[in-house]
Amino acid sequence: MEQSVLHRTLRDIAAVLVVAIFMFPLFWWALTSIKPMYAIFNKDHVVVFDFVPTLINYAVVLLGWSRAEIAIESGSTFGVGGTSSYDSRQTILDSIIVSVGSTALTMVVAVLAAYALSRMTFRTRTGFLNWVLGQRFMPPIAIIVPLVLMYKAAGMRDTDNLFMGYVGLILIYALMNLPIAVLLMKSFFDDVPKDVDEAAMIDGATRWQTFRRIVLPMVRGGIAAAAVLCFIFAWTEFLLSLFLTTIIRTVPVKITTFVTSTGSEWGFISALGTAAVIPGFIFILLVQRHLVRGLTLGSLKE
Amino acid sequence: MSFRDYDKKTFIADTARDFALRRISKRDFLKKMALAGVGFSAFNAGLLGTGYQRGKGIISSAEAQTPEEMTKWLKDVGAPFKGSKVRYTSEATPPTVVLNQIKNEFTEPTGIEVEIEIVPLEQVLAKAIQDVQGQLGTYDIYYLDQSWVATFAPDTVDPVSYYKEKPDLAMPGFDFDDFSAPLVKGLALYDDKWVGIPFDIPIFITMYRRDILEKLGIKPPTTFDEFTAAVKQITEAEKANGIYGTGLQAKSGHYSLECDWTAAIWGHGGGIFGANKKFTGNDEQGINGLKWYQEMLKNAPPQSTASTWDGQFQMMQSGQVALVNSWDEFFPGLDADDSKVKGLWEPMHPISSNVGIRSVDDVGFGEIPNVGHQGGSILGLSKYSKNLDAAWLFMQWACSKEIMTRCTLLGGFAPMRISSFEDPRVKAKAVVGPGTTRHLEVVKWTIDNVMASEPDMPLWAGFSNNEIPVELGKLLTGQDYGGDAKKCMDNVASLIDKAVEDAGLL
Amino acid sequence: MTAAVYDAPAPGRAWLPRWFTSEHPLPWLLPATALMVVFGIYPALYAIWLSLHKRNPVLRKDVWNPSANWLKALADERVWNALYNTFLYTGLALVIQLSLGLAIALLLDTDRRGYGLLRALMTLPLVVPPAVTAMMFLLMLDGSFGVLSRSLYALGLLSPQYPILATSSTALGGVLLADIWQWTPFMVLIMLAGLRSLPKEPFEAAAIDGASATQAFFRLTLPMMSKVIAIAVLIRGIDLFRIFDYVKVMTDSGPGTATETLTSYAGRIYFNGDFPYASTISVITLAVVIIVSTIFMKAFRVRL
Repeated sequence: MEQSVLHRTLRDIAAVLVVAIFMFPLFWWALTSIKPMYAIFNKDHVVVFDFVPTLINYAVVLLGWSRAEIAIESGSTFGVGGTSSYDSRQTILDSIIVSVGSTALTMVVAVLAAYALSRMTFRTRTGFLNWVLGQRFMPPIAIIVPLVLMYKAAGMRDTDNLFMGYVGLILIYALMNLPIAVLLMKSFFDDVPKDVDEAAMIDGATRWQTFRRIVLPMVRGGIAAAAVLCFIFAWTEFLLSLFLTTIIRTVPVKITTFVTSTGSEWGFISALGTAAVIPGFIFILLVQRHLVRGLTLGSLKE
Repeated sequence: MSFRDYDKKTFIADTARDFALRRISKRDFLKKMALAGVGFSAFNAGLLGTGYQRGKGIISSAEAQTPEEMTKWLKDVGAPFKGSKVRYTSEATPPTVVLNQIKNEFTEPTGIEVEIEIVPLEQVLAKAIQDVQGQLGTYDIYYLDQSWVATFAPDTVDPVSYYKEKPDLAMPGFDFDDFSAPLVKGLALYDDKWVGIPFDIPIFITMYRRDILEKLGIKPPTTFDEFTAAVKQITEAEKANGIYGTGLQAKSGHYSLECDWTAAIWGHGGGIFGANKKFTGNDEQGINGLKWYQEMLKNAPPQSTASTWDGQFQMMQSGQVALVNSWDEFFPGLDADDSKVKGLWEPMHPISSNVGIRSVDDVGFGEIPNVGHQGGSILGLSKYSKNLDAAWLFMQWACSKEIMTRCTLLGGFAPMRISSFEDPRVKAKAVVGPGTTRHLEVVKWTIDNVMASEPDMPLWAGFSNNEIPVELGKLLTGQDYGGDAKKCMDNVASLIDKAVEDAGLL
Repeated sequence: MTAAVYDAPAPGRAWLPRWFTSEHPLPWLLPATALMVVFGIYPALYAIWLSLHKRNPVLRKDVWNPSANWLKALADERVWNALYNTFLYTGLALVIQLSLGLAIALLLDTDRRGYGLLRALMTLPLVVPPAVTAMMFLLMLDGSFGVLSRSLYALGLLSPQYPILATSSTALGGVLLADIWQWTPFMVLIMLAGLRSLPKEPFEAAAIDGASATQAFFRLTLPMMSKVIAIAVLIRGIDLFRIFDYVKVMTDSGPGTATETLTSYAGRIYFNGDFPYASTISVITLAVVIIVSTIFMKAFRVRL
């Protein structure tokens, strides 16, 4: 379709405007993170740029400065240092371990299952698919008590064994993401014509060899797309992480601890909130091309 | 403590302040410190320069004075527990945050590691209940809000008897009598058992903006009626400038609203439960209190109905309100350097009732009506702990005279111990500035004379977090009841009476 | 494709039963099955079992009493109110996110320079944890200091007397705003994928026949996208039904119970320690999700 220059310009303006509207909260959040307190809460007017920016909030959450150090730095008073409860370096690491670990596990499990669901016919196939989808129906609140007791009995609480604590969280996130990953991967496999498999098997390849060497490489884009979604869901999960762990602190849980009995530390909250967007965004940028192209939800084309 | 000790500590504190304010050079500072007998390792000295070594942070000498005897005692008694880990979960209250910062001073001599899991208040409750119910033993120490003390009474070890039972682990000079008696009675005791050791005591006091009251020629109010009149006058005069008479923590469904409500009905001669254990918030005095609160809401920023203590503090710190009856813990923050109202707020005794306070004989479930609503908490030693003795050592350390006093010094919040109130270092900080202690005299008076406590009963945690604030929220935001306080309270009464009866507590 | 030489099946495998070779679905499905049995079935059964107990808050014991919680839930006004709110919330969010998502996807669906960056930026809200998004909007909607609230006051769309999150008639809208900001990008992503996979030929034919862009959209794009839309609605709908973080952080189900959803009510009860009753409400939520999604899948012939 031919588009006039005017038409195109209007479209450009609209597109930029829409994206800008969606970017505004993030911009505001980032701006909040470099504001001093009086600029966040100002009763007379909304402070936009008329403040002296500070990086103190980032120093606290990302470098582990304590308030005492800030105080000395600003030359006003003194206090005691030591470990600061706002130091979030370990938190970011925890989040990365859990998100990457669960994404990897989900993808392995889901790719295997999706291939069989796409390629093989068996009586329980539809039932199995529904069962998979059903995993996303359960409200997290309902499974916290049983999971805690179960993990306790199995020695999988992070207070018993830190390593198993990570494993426990990774396993439950893998289950949480299984439906999305399986459904997406199945549609990608459906996209690959069955003739490809058959040709390979006529050549004497086993199912596994066909899958491993022929089909899998063809759905790489799909894997990237599904992995991004799994990563995002794991990165942002809150309730399960809150109750299943004590030592391991993922970003969403850590941030809620900045709401204290004498006030919310909005500076620290916004700083960690802003910083926590970055790993996810890098991940998205890396697979951006696959993300849109890969999410074709193939079977839907017909 | 000897007088020499006093002098030394104030000297150190002054010197350190001078240094922090860049009044004296680093060299002078170190020299003076040496005079006072404070040695610095190269590490610490380095930290005081420009290059900080991150991670371990700094221990500023003046306050990092774990007395030698204590360090020695910790070393001796802690030896068998080296390598064990003590864990507790807590809300991010000022003492906990400070304790988290200085816990290394306990870990170094004893070799006992301490992990403090900080989560918001309601999550502390859910996590603790989960732990108790499943007898998981995740936590060795529970942080218990006053409204849950009864709920957890069976799950903790009585610290006073344990202190006597295990003389070899008992910290010399711990002195249980040093804790303010009203705190022990209102917080720690349930059925004559010490459920834990008092650890934090936020309490309602009255605070006012000196400048605004002076400008309008209003005398600081001393009674509810005077308070009401002043609030109305301020709103009328200053609303155009964005200043309201008062600010409230009236967030629907939140414990903060329940706190405001209890303070309101007690102040009007009401009570929560009658001697017959029936809910009495719907009697005449109770309704008067609630109606007064509705009136206050009209003179408060509309955001009040979405604000917890957090929002209320924001209103005060941003200069939006002029007269508040609320937590004393706000005070140090109001005097902070980034506060717009530094030095402008003044603390005073909580406003008194115009109709008298209901007698404790006329209320039920151990409720103590008065005007100084307290929201304190205790540290309880878990029965299910696998490191009971290591945890006990930590608890004694955390609640010892020296550490509690230092927590106060670092945060400016009210101490539990009589000796902390008297400490010269605490008194020295009673000036305008961050971490000020200038409100503590008022706080001490309030604790000793007019402290109020919510009922002690196992269902209270539920009522105070669910039924009461949710129904109040419906009333105050106009979702239900058409603004009729009586209708709302009658409904609350039926909900609560039914639950109490159902639980077999009548 | 070049012909590859494959190894002959290893002789050692011949003794394996057929259901254990890669020709049979079992080994492929085994890891997923194990995960779902251990971490899916057991907790679900436990939740149901727990809902058949009644909590004694004084002794803190859960006593076997199969009907107590279920009768209580049926008679509990707040459950019905929460059910209503859940449906209202899910419905509104779906309609808005779907239409916005489709519109934005159409807008961004071009290979021209710079649009790749716009698409990447558009996905950014997804990586913010919902609990953090909620705090973000809580700050921006603050009745006294929030930038959004203040702007709405300035435009005369809201009165400062009625802060959006503190007023029962508008609070749900405030929470929805956060949800829409966060999840419209998800819809955009799926719609973009759908648009990209549409065949070109019908559009070319339509253009030749002189159909306008609008006609092409309603006659071709929408019908061909219907399956994508159905899947998107299904996945999003399930998540919306279990909405928790936004409500919890932004309004805590308030004011009163104006934004109380099934899961936020269950959460409040859970936080106060009545695990059996919280389980009952969760199981109700589960049942409703199953019923609604089954009806939906039947009605729109969604095949997984």
